Amino acid sequence: MKHFRSLSAAAAVALFAASLVAACSTPAAENPRPAEPAFRPVASIREVMNSVIDPSVDEVWNSVGSTVDEKGLTDRAPTQDEHWAEVRRHALIVSEAANLLLMHNRPVAPPGAASLAPGVELTPEEIRVLIDKNPEGWDFYVQQFQDSLKPALDAIDKKDSQALFDAGEKIDETCENCHQTFWYPKAVNSSR
Amino acid sequence: MKTKIFAVLLAAGALCAVRPVLAHHAFAAEYDSDKPLELKGTLTKMEWVNPHGWLYIETKQPDGSTKKWTIETSGPAQMSRRGLKKTDFVDGMPLQVKGYQGIKDQAHANGRTLVLADGRSFYIGSVGGPNDGADK
Repeated sequence: MKHFRSLSAAAAVALFAASLVAACSTPAAENPRPAEPAFRPVASIREVMNSVIDPSVDEVWNSVGSTVDEKGLTDRAPTQDEHWAEVRRHALIVSEAANLLLMHNRPVAPPGAASLAPGVELTPEEIRVLIDKNPEGWDFYVQQFQDSLKPALDAIDKKDSQALFDAGEKIDETCENCHQTFWYPKAVNSSR
Repeated sequence: MKTKIFAVLLAAGALCAVRPVLAHHAFAAEYDSDKPLELKGTLTKMEWVNPHGWLYIETKQPDGSTKKWTIETSGPAQMSRRGLKKTDFVDGMPLQVKGYQGIKDQAHANGRTLVLADGRSFYIGSVGGPNDGADK
């Protein structure tokens, strides 16, 4: 009988402890890890490309180069700290804009938009199908593009204009890789 | 202030090339592979820049007038690997370009082969373009 009482007391203690644990764990269940912030895309992929990425990557590309004309051969490259800072700003815009392309709920183009080159380049709907069929591939190419900016940023930080110029080819190559896969896969050959 | 000036110079650098197409497009969206052309003219300007270069040449028309052409080339790194250098270009030099006519701009072309006055010939086509053997 005594043994039974002891067992009952132990069970009561265990039950109490369990209820304490449950009570302590309840708030955690009611307050799960904060959800990822809901991204709210405003621009389409086409608009991000045309309004953010294209203009800035052109600034990166055009910051170094050479021209031959009636004045002879003229090389251009950033020379002052503020020049380098300006180019770096554009390289960062492009690098971070790549993240915008990783938001899978971003529409391909504005509603009702057509192919920019019917018969050659896909319609927004066709591009959507390709992206949805291969989201990992999409992410891979976008991140490959983002990575291609790293040598350019390194070159800018070192104020190495030749390295910045050399980095330009890889940036273009990663653009083309993605475009050939998702934008104009039917066009076997492309200009860039 | 200097930054603003440099920003303006950057923009001017992009604009002065007067590139017909700023966005990235498929070859067939910009050029007609059924319209090959061969141009003989003189160089008025050359842009050695990424993602691809530009040649500006003037050709003589049958009526004696001149026509200004803008020709897209491959990227400078690709041309360098084929032995072409920016120092090979001089304003006013004669040259010969084989390529393809632009679709929207009749004075725009995509270059495939460049022949300099000294007879040296270079493939200047972009990755892609028609499989016409120009890159062989």
